[in-house]
Amino acid sequence: MAVELEESMLVRVQLENFSIDEELHRVRSRSRRIGGVAMFLGTARDRSKGRDVSSMSFDHYEGMAQKKLKEIREQALRDFAIIEALVLHRYGPIEIGENIVLIIVGAEHRADAFKACQWCIDELKKITPIWKMETTPEGEVWVEEHP
Amino acid sequence: MKVKLFGMLKTMIPDGKDLEVAFSEGDQVKDLVHTIRREYPQVGELLEKKKVLVSVNQEIVHWDTVLNTADEVALLPPFAGGSGDVEAQQKGQSDGC
Repeated sequence: MAVELEESMLVRVQLENFSIDEELHRVRSRSRRIGGVAMFLGTARDRSKGRDVSSMSFDHYEGMAQKKLKEIREQALRDFAIIEALVLHRYGPIEIGENIVLIIVGAEHRADAFKACQWCIDELKKITPIWKMETTPEGEVWVEEHP
Repeated sequence: MKVKLFGMLKTMIPDGKDLEVAFSEGDQVKDLVHTIRREYPQVGELLEKKKVLVSVNQEIVHWDTVLNTADEVALLPPFAGGSGDVEAQQKGQSDGC
């Protein structure tokens, strides 16, 4: 039960902001064999496709989004020589400069950590049912990253 | 049958809520798409162009999938999680992440 709880903390879709230090500690504490940690942090920027952006909001498919993040973590653990991976995405309103998405990968060596981290964020963008709406001077615009 | 909507699809329906679509046991996804196209032409067009995918019980399905009363059906516009457009950035078309 404790193991399941711990693993569920490694894959989350949540409204509230997160602490990078706490999440980094969560991954590092999983194994003392970790010798390299790679991280990707996605943050909210104030410009997109040539337009100013004043804020944004993420819609998600509750249940399916969590399921896809879990699949990403599990496949990363299978396909790369890594020890642990954390995949976390926020939903709801997000102010410019705030955290949106976090991937942290722990491995024995840096090359595997970098490769897995890149794969996780690319895969997340491809298969996770999350949608972004940006507030621009022209109004609210739904973003299609992969039309 | 209730059909969940997400993202931009919510703005294409007058009240922005989930769709209620007529359905008979044994219908396939394509039958559902046909009904949606008749009642909500804008949404139907995106489905036919495959810009919007259909999921059943949280898995993306083909149009020949048979539907059951208890199925959870959703229409999924193109995903846009993360931050920044990697492909556009690689082509130098984005402002960066």
